[in-house]
Amino acid sequence: MTDSKLTSQGAPSGFNWKPLVTNQSTILVAVILLLAGVFSAGSYGSFWDVSVFNNILTDWGLIVLLAVGQTFVVISGGIDLSVGSTVSLSGVVAGVVMVNWMHLDLNVKNEAAIGPLLIALLVCIATGVAVGLLNAFLVNVVGIVPFIATLATLGGGAGLAIIWSGGMPLQGPNFYGLVNPIKIGEISLSPISFAVLVVAVVVTIAGLFLAKARFGLYTYAIGSNSFAAKAAGINVKRHLTWVYVVSGALSGIAGMYAYTRLGSGSPSSGAGLELQAIAAVVIGGTSLMGGSGKMLGTILGAFLLYEVQSGLLMVGMDPNWKQVIVAIMIAGAVGIQGFSFGQRRK
Amino acid sequence: MKRTLRSLAVLGTVAALALTASGCAQGEKQLTIAFVMGAESDPFFQAMKVGATEEAAAQNVKLVWQGDPSHYDVATQVPIVDSVISTKPDGLVLIPTDPAGLQASSDKAVEAGIVVANVDTHTEDTSKAVIFITGDNGDGGAKAADAIANAIGYTDGETYQVVVGLTSATATTNVGRLDGFKAQVAASYPGIEIVDVAYSQSNPQTAASNVSNWLTKFPNLKGIFAIDGTNASGAAAALQAKNLVGKIALVGYDAYPANVELIKAGVFTALIAQDPAEEARQAIRAIVAKIRNNEDPASHDVVIPNVTLDANTSAADLTKYTYVAN
Amino acid sequence: MTGELIYEVKNVSKRYGSVVALDGASLKLHAGEVIGLVGDNGAGKSTLVKVLSGAHKPDGGQIFLDGVERSWESPRDALESGVETLYQDSGLAPHLTVSENVFLGREKYKKGILGWFGFLAKKTMEAEAQEDLEKVGIAFPSANRPVSQLSGGQRQAVAIGRAVSWARKVIILDEPTNHLGARQAGEVLQIIRAAKAKGLGVIFISHTLPHVLEVTDRIVVLRLGRIVKDSPTKDYNNDTLLGTITGTIQTIKVEGD
Repeated sequence: MTDSKLTSQGAPSGFNWKPLVTNQSTILVAVILLLAGVFSAGSYGSFWDVSVFNNILTDWGLIVLLAVGQTFVVISGGIDLSVGSTVSLSGVVAGVVMVNWMHLDLNVKNEAAIGPLLIALLVCIATGVAVGLLNAFLVNVVGIVPFIATLATLGGGAGLAIIWSGGMPLQGPNFYGLVNPIKIGEISLSPISFAVLVVAVVVTIAGLFLAKARFGLYTYAIGSNSFAAKAAGINVKRHLTWVYVVSGALSGIAGMYAYTRLGSGSPSSGAGLELQAIAAVVIGGTSLMGGSGKMLGTILGAFLLYEVQSGLLMVGMDPNWKQVIVAIMIAGAVGIQGFSFGQRRK
Repeated sequence: MKRTLRSLAVLGTVAALALTASGCAQGEKQLTIAFVMGAESDPFFQAMKVGATEEAAAQNVKLVWQGDPSHYDVATQVPIVDSVISTKPDGLVLIPTDPAGLQASSDKAVEAGIVVANVDTHTEDTSKAVIFITGDNGDGGAKAADAIANAIGYTDGETYQVVVGLTSATATTNVGRLDGFKAQVAASYPGIEIVDVAYSQSNPQTAASNVSNWLTKFPNLKGIFAIDGTNASGAAAALQAKNLVGKIALVGYDAYPANVELIKAGVFTALIAQDPAEEARQAIRAIVAKIRNNEDPASHDVVIPNVTLDANTSAADLTKYTYVAN
Repeated sequence: MTGELIYEVKNVSKRYGSVVALDGASLKLHAGEVIGLVGDNGAGKSTLVKVLSGAHKPDGGQIFLDGVERSWESPRDALESGVETLYQDSGLAPHLTVSENVFLGREKYKKGILGWFGFLAKKTMEAEAQEDLEKVGIAFPSANRPVSQLSGGQRQAVAIGRAVSWARKVIILDEPTNHLGARQAGEVLQIIRAAKAKGLGVIFISHTLPHVLEVTDRIVVLRLGRIVKDSPTKDYNNDTLLGTITGTIQTIKVEGD
């Protein structure tokens, strides 16, 4: 803080990682490790298998895209319920484009599928952006509260996904290798797949923009006090439009991720995911009141959700316990927020 | 072209049946029949809608198709059913998402003079419904057990690990199929051990995730019974992603076009198919006969058998049983 | 003591539905001058502040800055022209740090490609915020603390410091001494004097009449949306000012009415 020369030189040592890390994140890491221990004991060690982490990360890759977009929206003081149906809708649109328009089928496999999949990715992002623009229009121009506006697009998106797919999964070209661990030769190097790697890069960039750039600062400012933000000369409506567009675009990428995972554009692939995404955000320590939250918390929160899902299955517990455990974690996360806020005010 | 021919054939049959059933359909007042199904996003109901629409047109019936877009859930279905009843249709085809939860609404409809039919699943007391039509879920489950045993080359004295992917613990179709599967395993294949079950909550992603985790937990897994279309899609994706096609027997349910394709690709050992369109046709026919001629169906509970589709099934049969989208 | 005319509104009015909030108000502000704007609740002070700061567009009347007629489309418009406003109780974002609040809307960016993407030079801003606040007489242990961790008086000091350090011509302070203790209020009045010495035109809105009498050069009294008196501060004492506000003292209509 005292030496401004360091930053003006842009030296890496001057890079401040502190805002990325909060107490909540430390607690989440502890919970993740604790649960790993419990699941490991319950499954006689098989929880530590690399492929378990591949499974968790594969699930994580989808939900974290939604949760990252949701983090921006929630910090800005809004909520985006449409993300789940945007996954279904964009996945279906990807299927329609490849199957019905490009006339490709599931025999287009592996490397040959990369071209069509890239085109489909662009179409998915465009679909997500369109949903985001519609949300922003309803919130900013029509003046509907975000909860209701995005509830409407949630229903509309789900309906269109069913209509355009005829209610059936659209099976088209795919490269399942993208969701499998990256291999060099025959040796699997890590539990990380190419798709998860791409998601990790996207999530890191989004996290940096939230913590370090004007985009994030304005998001916090609007969620904290939109009147003050406006008085400071921020174009609040334009910024909120961008926030919903980012959430939509990330949901579109998630739609393509779901397509690659299933090998088809399924109208039910996003069912219920909006609640998972919001759960990840809340467990990660972001306040639903807006103005505060950290991307690292969201990333860990999403991981925790799927660690629990995989862990319960590995241990052989009734999977319905997942909902109970997630509920406890949400209550705990909100409790910690209230506690640390109270401490600070003293 | 094939589809057109098939539709024509269906229409012809339907028309003939309609004439024999109701004497003369022409000149009759148009009836309104509400059809409340489980979840619009489920291809099973899409296929059912095709049958219902065809039959309604043939019988001079106005069809009101209703249901939640994506959640197969009693909480969302009850208000839909209640608001449909308040519009006073002549008949109601109801696919209850929960046997107890929909009983009150069903009774209310009967009291209001609406003729009720249950399709696929039923309320606790079906006596006031004019007909209950379902695929034989127990028989379908048994057929799935046969298909898995056949695919893994079952021999007595060996043990085989098998898992079952479900959508929910309470859906009556899921329960019926699982019971049939377990009964058949107990009776004929004692060496098959059902080591785990898990729920997909109507999302194929969750189904895929469950199967991926099983593949890790049970390295010697021999077979997977995916109890409905959603689980079948998810399980097929997981096996393809892990390059285990052909190494683990996968028996699915519901003839989604995408999944029928995957029989040919060897991903599915077999698919157990229902005939949802036929269920819908028979339900509408029974309601129309009751209202126009006060005729009760020959039998109150109608069971439409399931069929096993596999690599040996003829192309014509595959086409016949594949669910058709609107 | 006071310089050129810098900010002027002529005959502005504003109605919300059938309610006339402001009825033909006129006001002149000179460089290095502090005007007190007083009136009872609902007299139209907040509306006049919003018109002056660009938050609301008047239904009628004219606004001149440096003799040029202006029409503010947004607060940003007014800000960029040098008119800074501190709003009553809501000027800061509590979750942001002191320096983030001071620089909000006018951030400094990192050099090179990162800056092009909007990455912020946080350390530079923290150092400069500290410096700017010290210049107007506010000392802080650290500019990277969230505003929510500050006391009410500290928050107000940050808000005023922010406004004073950015203002180039005019600064509008809406109830800056509200909820403050005597010592903290005294510090705020000191900042107002510093702003005046800097040559800024200051509009000071307050209910606390002793503060108004202490720091202003001229006092404008609003009642029921109209300006009923506009005289040098020496013409008032506590009682006559109160009487003018409540209407128990009859006022001669001011010029232009």
